[in-house]
Amino acid sequence: MSRAAFDFRLYAITAESCHPGRDLIEVMEAAIRGGADIVQLRDKETPPERLLGQARALRELTRRYGVPFIVNDYPELALEAEADGVHLGQEDMPIAEARRLLGEDKIIGISTHSIEQAREAVRAGADYIGVGPVYPTPTKPGRPAAGLEYVRQAAAEIAIPWVAIGGITLDNADEVLDAGARRLCAVSAIVGSPDPEAVSRELKARITAREAGHAADAAPPAEGPIRLRLNGRDTETTARTLGELIERHGLKDRRIVAEVDGEIVARSEWSRTLLKAGAAVELVHFRGGG
Amino acid sequence: MADDPAKECGMAEHIAGLTNGSEQTAAGRQKETAEPGRSADRTDMERYSRQIRFAPIGPEGQRRLLEASVLIVGAGALGASLAQHMARAGVGRIRIVDRDFVEPSNLQRQTLFDEEDARLALPKAAAAAAKLRRINSGIAIEEHVADVTSANAAALAEGVQLVLDGTDNAATRLLMSDVCFALGIPFLYGGAVGASGMSAALVPGETACLRCLIGGDQEAADAGTCETEGVISPIVELVAALQAAEALKWLTGRRESLRRTWISASLWPSEWREWRLPGPSRDCAVCGRAKPPAESGLPMERAEAGLKRLAVREEASAAPSPRPTAGPIRAAVLCGRDTVQLTLDHPLPLERIEERLRADGCIITRNPWLIRAETGDGRRFVVFRGEGRVLVQGVSDAEEAVRGLTELLHQPNEEGVTVR
Repeated sequence: MSRAAFDFRLYAITAESCHPGRDLIEVMEAAIRGGADIVQLRDKETPPERLLGQARALRELTRRYGVPFIVNDYPELALEAEADGVHLGQEDMPIAEARRLLGEDKIIGISTHSIEQAREAVRAGADYIGVGPVYPTPTKPGRPAAGLEYVRQAAAEIAIPWVAIGGITLDNADEVLDAGARRLCAVSAIVGSPDPEAVSRELKARITAREAGHAADAAPPAEGPIRLRLNGRDTETTARTLGELIERHGLKDRRIVAEVDGEIVARSEWSRTLLKAGAAVELVHFRGGG
Repeated sequence: MADDPAKECGMAEHIAGLTNGSEQTAAGRQKETAEPGRSADRTDMERYSRQIRFAPIGPEGQRRLLEASVLIVGAGALGASLAQHMARAGVGRIRIVDRDFVEPSNLQRQTLFDEEDARLALPKAAAAAAKLRRINSGIAIEEHVADVTSANAAALAEGVQLVLDGTDNAATRLLMSDVCFALGIPFLYGGAVGASGMSAALVPGETACLRCLIGGDQEAADAGTCETEGVISPIVELVAALQAAEALKWLTGRRESLRRTWISASLWPSEWREWRLPGPSRDCAVCGRAKPPAESGLPMERAEAGLKRLAVREEASAAPSPRPTAGPIRAAVLCGRDTVQLTLDHPLPLERIEERLRADGCIITRNPWLIRAETGDGRRFVVFRGEGRVLVQGVSDAEEAVRGLTELLHQPNEEGVTVR
């Protein structure tokens, strides 16, 4: 997982206490199947040296599905388990120190609770930030909610990937998306559900549907071309969606497989898939011989 | 039978005539080793010891393999390689279906076949089955010389635990993907052209179906085929190996180890890419409403039932009509092959046709499954027994093929010809 191409939509975080009696790996696998496209191991209770087995199992799982794996708090554990990066809290080590420990290739994310903290995180070189808690949350007892207002501020200002987090459920996901979030993180709503796969699928669908809505009514024609990597080459395009890009290359009626940032896009989603600057797109002819 | 063609070419031990003869063959065999539910005995433990020693398989995995059943669609380069992997691994029941016959141009990459198979113009399914039985006599092999169509696809797939893709065209793959998602059977796609190939395990309830990924029937023809772009054997083996590995995981019960990605690889130039597979599309009638695979191994009875239904259907259509009557002829241009496949709604009287062709001075090759006639003007007719199916080679289009066949049958082409 390279830092440059890193992005996601639905962030799942472990919380073993939310699913007593059920295997952590099984629960997380269900979340991934449902559409979680980044996974974090978070366990504040257990000392890191006892988390290695779990971290390795999650690494194996996420590798199999090709999703990034992030370790909360512990850069050493992240290295040991070959995770893709770490997630830091405001009270943890500074980003610069984590970067020194982890090297240039690893992803570093950080929780922020105000727009000031978000700006600081961007300055310090975070690869993504958590924005929240949007709502009071059982996984972070005692922390006052930063609220939807902070989500709106982040939407207006923050250019690096940021994810709304804290108390997000199927009941309130829409208003978080309304406030401008493009990525959601859910903890207990996913892993505490009897059907984590279904919850993930529904959350992912809401995010994707919202993106499609933005694709339809946004993107003013005045906006200049965006740069992206198409089949390994840097290219500029004024196409706004994957479907438009494919059409412009005369490939709409050909049997091709289209992939954006590591995931194949079903044909029915082509016209709803927004192209983002820096995205890696591959269009490959289907191989039919045998 | 007055003239047993099987005896004539020294293939009497194989199926005589009909495509569903594997039942007879199995019954005639000394060792009925592939009984459903049988557990690995000591001989098996020795034979499969190296893969049993591989920890993720172990004795339990081997037991499951011996009880497993798979369908391999296509017995060309990919199909033959897949079949060999499955047979050597000890998959208890292997069903193979293919519509084609062995030609010299296959030998460069289709590893189960040899020059004798090409000389005899043996159907690939039959030639493959013969080789596989020599590789492993302890498993059941069922061969079907047939075109996979919407009429027989479900019966072929019913009751197997996996469908392995060894086809050479998108249309058949889409059909099999549809059937697999309806029946709750994973479809292990693989394809290769030139020096590049792709493979992915499409699992009902977990991943999108092939239709969602590559588009449906309305999309343009395949970009390139082995006949137009060529193909080198290493890429075929690579893709078959990718498919076979996932098959072993699934059949040994190690479903959690399944690779959830689409691999696109090229050997020349060297390149390897791997992408996540999207989940089922909610709006798709195929994968959005797929039946998830059964929790554990499927009862063999269901495989038997599917097979029996198929046998009944094949038998019903096996009696050749006394004289060919006018009827619709379906024509399909086999992609990039200079071959047109014609399908009539009834089987053809092979003996009469052979007589006629000999009188015309054609060079005839015959075996239990088909006759091949080379005409003086460079055309070749391959007429399958019991099928109403003819491959015409050396013609430029479907119309010419139909004309050729109707002349052959003294049958004016009264009906409309549907070219698909």
